[in-house]
Amino acid sequence: MTIQAVQTRGGISARAAVLAYVVVCGLVLLLMMVFGLLMRLTQAQWIDIQPDLFYVIMTMHGAGMVGIAGLCGATVMWYFVRRHVPVTTGIFVANLVFFLIGALLILGSGFIGGFGAAWTFLFPLPAHSGDLWSANAAAAYMFGLLFIGVGFLLLHLDIARGILSVYGGLGAALGVKQAFGLAPESEGPPPAVAASTMALIVNILGILLGAAVLVITLVNLYVPSFAFNALAAKNMIFFFGHVFINATIYMAVIAVYEILPVYTHRAWKTNQAFYLAWVLSTVFVLIVYPHHLLMDFAMPTWALVLGQVVSWLSGLPVLLVTAFGALTNVYRSGIKWNTAAGLVFVGAAGWAIGVIPAIADGTIEVNSFMHNTQWVPGHFHTYLLLGTIAMFLGFLTHITPRSNNAWAPTGFWLYVVGGSIFVLAFLTAGAASVPRRYAVHLPSWLPYDRVGSIGAALVVVGVLILVVRFLVSVTSAAPEEAGA
Amino acid sequence: MNNNGRLLLIAGAWLILWLRPLRIALEGDMAVHMTVQVPLLIGLGLLLAVSIRGQEPHWLAEADWLGIPGIILVIFGTSFWMLPRALDSAVADPWFDAIKFLSLPLLVGLPLGLSWRRMPPLGRAFIWANFIPKLGAIGGLYLAAPTRLCAYYRLDQQATAGWTLIVIAVALGTLWFIAAFVGWPPQHAAARPPSRDTGSKPGPPLLALPPPYASSR
Ligand code: HEM
Ligand SMILES: [Cu+2]
Repeated sequence: MTIQAVQTRGGISARAAVLAYVVVCGLVLLLMMVFGLLMRLTQAQWIDIQPDLFYVIMTMHGAGMVGIAGLCGATVMWYFVRRHVPVTTGIFVANLVFFLIGALLILGSGFIGGFGAAWTFLFPLPAHSGDLWSANAAAAYMFGLLFIGVGFLLLHLDIARGILSVYGGLGAALGVKQAFGLAPESEGPPPAVAASTMALIVNILGILLGAAVLVITLVNLYVPSFAFNALAAKNMIFFFGHVFINATIYMAVIAVYEILPVYTHRAWKTNQAFYLAWVLSTVFVLIVYPHHLLMDFAMPTWALVLGQVVSWLSGLPVLLVTAFGALTNVYRSGIKWNTAAGLVFVGAAGWAIGVIPAIADGTIEVNSFMHNTQWVPGHFHTYLLLGTIAMFLGFLTHITPRSNNAWAPTGFWLYVVGGSIFVLAFLTAGAASVPRRYAVHLPSWLPYDRVGSIGAALVVVGVLILVVRFLVSVTSAAPEEAGA
Repeated sequence: MNNNGRLLLIAGAWLILWLRPLRIALEGDMAVHMTVQVPLLIGLGLLLAVSIRGQEPHWLAEADWLGIPGIILVIFGTSFWMLPRALDSAVADPWFDAIKFLSLPLLVGLPLGLSWRRMPPLGRAFIWANFIPKLGAIGGLYLAAPTRLCAYYRLDQQATAGWTLIVIAVALGTLWFIAAFVGWPPQHAAARPPSRDTGSKPGPPLLALPPPYASSR
């Protein structure tokens, strides 16, 4: 391949690029988790942060976490998919550069410009700041998102190019024929290829719509009389946001397919059900986003009904084949558990468990009560923190040179136990009608916040251990490994 | 068709488009102006590129590295003629219209035809991915505009133009997606990796990356 020839002659090696990704992901994750902890401590009234700063932190935490979850997923996806299709290291690196520029713009918009309209930048809120932030600050945020979007667009297009060159069409790479029994299962694509195909299909569509609404928002910031239809804008934003955050899971789940088999010494089974699940989830993820608009009475009823019904089904196909596959892969395999295998297994479990309260919330009846309670951060932190991020940390531990293993189990248990406490505190508070996105909490809500803070602190320490362990062993292993 | 015949055809079509009755008919409606006349003029430039591709000076082909300079010219050209102001002036002033008639084939269609083949697949896909949402966003802005943006077009024409752009954007996006989904026969089908190969062989993973994909040759 000419591209690879160019890559090896000059430029950054694939190994260095993956390293850079993991380091950035680890550090940004930690920073964003500290932001989360600060919010929790504020709600618990153990520290004092003024509401305007709270909302800046909330915006930075939301945007930063969603972005970094995408980057974590991209790391896992690229690492494994490049074994099956030709990809360009330069583009992979370009995505990281775009991400860093975008992240700086976003952090600047918040901590310098005071932008605090939440990561969902709901139209036309960015233009109505009540003097808390300027149009320029809001624009910096929008440009930050655009940069990150361009990077991901390039990355997905490059992987698409590689996939098309080997499989001919995205349908074949998704295993559509296998899904409907039209071709033998044994000729289907490997899981990493099917998952990358799904992720690129949904994410490219999401980014295209997101870019359009960002441009419109930018114009509205400077020429407020351009009054785009707010409901249409909300639809586009949530299509983009829903798709992007879901795609993080579908990229990160490749870690489960690739890493568990290493320790169970059994290949991951890709059968007809597996392919059918990926095909169905591709469609569902795209059409389910109206569940974010269940409170918008102006939405056509059919769209809301669609959002509700598909919510019950959306994640399920891939979730079921993954959870079931993980169980059968592990069952009686004689696996010797270690931190990496444990984390990816927890990732599959956290995803499965987190979807249950999510489905409840996707039901119109329940949503009318739960929508603005901490039930919502409760369920999405379950499948993001204990799902996506657990899968990524499993990957990080998997590729950590095995030098100092002593700390890894400690990090693992702090993460899992702390994470469970943290999400349960959100969920129980939500069930008790504690609202989400409140900087100041009533005295009767404080117990939940305090328990949640303790859980969050344990998570931060756990991640710190895993990331520092990675950094230390990489720097000490670097000399011998350099030739690899 | 031989080359001279094609050049004659291009010149003839260009002149016909310039004929006053046809010009007025096509420019009378904003949507038709934007989505029929402008693409036709660009198309003439594309045809021209096919005719003169053989005679393209070597230095130009060299300078147009990966087609990037050419495509940037195209982006500026198309962006300019998407502005309501520019369209308005073209209707008002025949000289301005003449600039449009020259610039769209020569500064948009021609470089597009020459540079497109020099672009790597990723670059082409990236251009599509930028063009489609841009078209949609501009359509959306036409709908959102509080007033008439053009002196020569009514508000309802502006709205029609907005919807037309959005419909075209959606249609292009859908077609693009279908093409990629159905795809074309694999370039090196023989190189298809053994499936069911779930991957990482047991053993210490360390930081050594697994070997990348390589087409077996
Ligand atoms: C130690 C880990 C974490 C802590 C302590 C934490 C804490 C918080 C807190 C306190 C909130 C605001 C809750 C409220 O509305 O009252 C929040 C919101 C949020 N978090 Fe986290 N979080 C953590 C990890 C994560 C992860 C891993 C992700 C995603 C990958 C994430 C994504 C979000 C998002 C998207 C919001 C919504 C922001 C909004 O309402 O606009 N968080 N988090
Ligand atoms: Cu959603």
